[in-house]
Amino acid sequence: MAVRTIEVRERVMARNDELAGQVRDRLAQAGIAAFNLVSSPGSGKTALLERTVAAVGEELGISVVTGDVQTQNDADRLARHTSRLVQAVVTGGACHLDALQVQTALEALDLERTRLLFIENVGNLVCPASWDLGEEAKIVILSVTEGEDKPLKYPKMFRQSRYAVVNKIDLLPHVPFDLDLAVSYARQVNPELRFFFTSSVTGEGLDQWFDFLRGRVRQTAPA
Amino acid sequence: MCAAAWRTRSLHEMSVALEICRLAEERLGPAQAAQLVTVAVEVGDDSGLEAANLEFCLGALLAEPPFTGARPLLVRSPGDVLRVNYLEVDDGCPDD
Repeated sequence: MAVRTIEVRERVMARNDELAGQVRDRLAQAGIAAFNLVSSPGSGKTALLERTVAAVGEELGISVVTGDVQTQNDADRLARHTSRLVQAVVTGGACHLDALQVQTALEALDLERTRLLFIENVGNLVCPASWDLGEEAKIVILSVTEGEDKPLKYPKMFRQSRYAVVNKIDLLPHVPFDLDLAVSYARQVNPELRFFFTSSVTGEGLDQWFDFLRGRVRQTAPA
Repeated sequence: MCAAAWRTRSLHEMSVALEICRLAEERLGPAQAAQLVTVAVEVGDDSGLEAANLEFCLGALLAEPPFTGARPLLVRSPGDVLRVNYLEVDDGCPDD
């Protein structure tokens, strides 16, 4: 037996990262701001997107790529609020979106009409942290019905995110969620995190959220 | 390995294992992939992966064509590294 060793020393994510770079370049050339929404299941990603698309979808040229393990229910929900394009990716069991899926989904979107792209990732605070999709930034969503120690339990996701949305704040009087403690934990993990506090039911905090999106679209638009 | 048994393991580790196999096949080509005997992977403690699950998934995939039962060799290290370090192939040629 003659065993020969072939040196590789290649990162496992190298191919995904190469594709993510291509997605990022394409979006930059088109002047599109892109955010990867990540959270645990049930944090209200789709509800926040519904309110966002309904309120400023046309103004900001929003398109959405939704990722779900099964069903395209989220895409169907969003499509009820907009004539703009919503592209569903059914991962067929996989726990996250990857850059190839996003690159493929972009083929079905009208990028000429898009100024802001949301990628609604599969609900999961672990795996999506490892996969670059070519986004400008990750936005992690944490709802007040979850534990305030989620940032400590899932530090990689909070470390990799540039923005955090604390959602369902209308429920704060009814749940034992310590908002200050949650923010403190998140800042322990990532001191640079910028926060938004929202309720998709009452609309509280959405104006600040929309203003932020307007700012990102302005800054990303071609000169 | 039947699909039902795979479902009991983490999908995340399986997706990473699939990527490792794609990388190995890309490096070796289909013919040499059949000669693969070891895949050495460095897994960081902060990589977000359960090494035992990854080893299980990788072993199952390496038992299927174009591979012929190569052995995964996982090495833990600090940090979030996730890297294929080397491949070993038995090309059938006699030792020098």
